Amino acid sequence: MSAEFKLDLPQHENVVSVRTTSNRGFTPDELAEDCVAKIISVSDTALPGIRDQARAFERHMEKVVAYYMRQAIQSDRTTVFNAITDAGHPELAELIRRL
Amino acid sequence: MAFTGNFMCTSFKKELLSATHNFTTSGGDAFQIALYTNSASFTAATTAAVFGALNNEVGTSGTYTTGGPSGSTSTNTLAAAASMPSSSGTTAFTDFADKTFTSATITARGALIYNSSAGSGSNTANCVVVLDFGSDKSSTSGDFKIVMPSPDASNALIRIA
Repeated sequence: MSAEFKLDLPQHENVVSVRTTSNRGFTPDELAEDCVAKIISVSDTALPGIRDQARAFERHMEKVVAYYMRQAIQSDRTTVFNAITDAGHPELAELIRRL
Repeated sequence: MAFTGNFMCTSFKKELLSATHNFTTSGGDAFQIALYTNSASFTAATTAAVFGALNNEVGTSGTYTTGGPSGSTSTNTLAAAASMPSSSGTTAFTDFADKTFTSATITARGALIYNSSAGSGSNTANCVVVLDFGSDKSSTSGDFKIVMPSPDASNALIRIA
């Protein structure tokens, strides 16, 4: 008797996806979408009522995550503002604060 | 020559049976990713990553560095997903966190993930998987992000069922 285990990738399906930007970084909304996709997985074959409810929850979570990402950006900017001000560059700090 | 799909390298499967790869999140091997244009041609028979323009690797841009393994602190190093490897039911799996190259101008059609410290070595290039993006993906002075599958028994990049 022998044991067999499978260890292969689907050759012609997208295993990873790639997201790119031009002349900017990702927005909190874009990152929140990726974040929630890692946390919540909704099967296409789930019962319609459950699936719809799960997808509604998914969309709500994206808004919550994006909100706190924006808060984190603002908070970090405060930290950067103070660090640059303390380093003797108040004008540069002010430019960053206004971003 | 061109990318023709995703492949789990046969050499990697063989090396799993000789304990060459350690995917443990903390203290495991360093796994890195190299990006290629569609002129590159890799299959399951690919045993080692190759680097540089002559091998159709994309050029250095932003936080992406061409030229192959350069220690575990390389900007091309992949972070393991949390608490990997893991298992669910009868399936064991491991996965990586998403990888973003910032401030980069890149056009890539696919990638190789390789072990840069295979068998407790250093600057190795033992191939793990060949990834085909399906089409050319481009960033211009922006972010180039590779979104890995969810780290679970149904989707993780490397699963043993």
